[in-house]
Amino acid sequence: MPDTEFNEEDVLSRASQGDRDAFGLLYGRYIDRIFNYVYYRTGNLHDAEDLTARVFQRAMNHIQNYTDRGVPFSAWLYRIAHNLVANWHRDRSRRQEIPINDVPSLPSKGDHPERNLVHSQEQDALLRLIRRLPPERQSLLILKFVEDMSNAEIGAIMGRSEGAVKSLYHRTLLALRDQLGDQNINLESE
Amino acid sequence: MVKIKSTQPDDELHDLEEHLAGTLRRVQPPSEIVIRLRERIRFPQRSDIAYQFADWRRLFFVFSGVMSGLLAAITIARAFFYFFGRREL
Repeated sequence: MPDTEFNEEDVLSRASQGDRDAFGLLYGRYIDRIFNYVYYRTGNLHDAEDLTARVFQRAMNHIQNYTDRGVPFSAWLYRIAHNLVANWHRDRSRRQEIPINDVPSLPSKGDHPERNLVHSQEQDALLRLIRRLPPERQSLLILKFVEDMSNAEIGAIMGRSEGAVKSLYHRTLLALRDQLGDQNINLESE
Repeated sequence: MVKIKSTQPDDELHDLEEHLAGTLRRVQPPSEIVIRLRERIRFPQRSDIAYQFADWRRLFFVFSGVMSGLLAAITIARAFFYFFGRREL
């Protein structure tokens, strides 16, 4: 649905009154983003599907509690996703590596299909390093690169100021660079 | 293969950002997953049903409604039996 026809305020109002069709519109608008976030945080399709479903079920059950106080609906959804993923990691009590064969099975938007079949060892190594970062830093990188969000938007989701996000991002890059050096991982220039 | 190590720290971070942009790309969820998820959301799960029944007022009204309906159906059935069915026995 084009953005011009999508009045989120109206749809949210209808959805909060129990209109499931209205909630379906919200689902259609945000499913890709939430799935991507959860997928990169969990590293496998099965758990990404299950957790994405739980995010939207929880949102549907509690949408009456959502009040627009300057926080976009997307930020509210990401917070639900963030909490559910955190619980998921806690339940598993160990960090899970991204299965190498799992990532290329999903086509990236705007790519040639052939390119999706080739997932370089460097990218796998980088993904493994990202997954060893603290959860907050992983979220930051996913929101910045996968979701292409600004520091201000990320701050709204993470409950931090724009400056704090910028600082955390810089520290994250430095930490990643150091880990690449420690593990002797060389990245080819793009 | 070109090492990421370069003379300027800013260049290193810029290279790293480029690699991150190439690695963390938006993926397209498989269509079957999108459809399955939509079904899961449209039809309530067990937990949703349990959640609905945790509301005792709603449960009371549902139970009262069902019992009243049953009582009305039994009364009508008995009336029919009294007026029409009994003669044939």
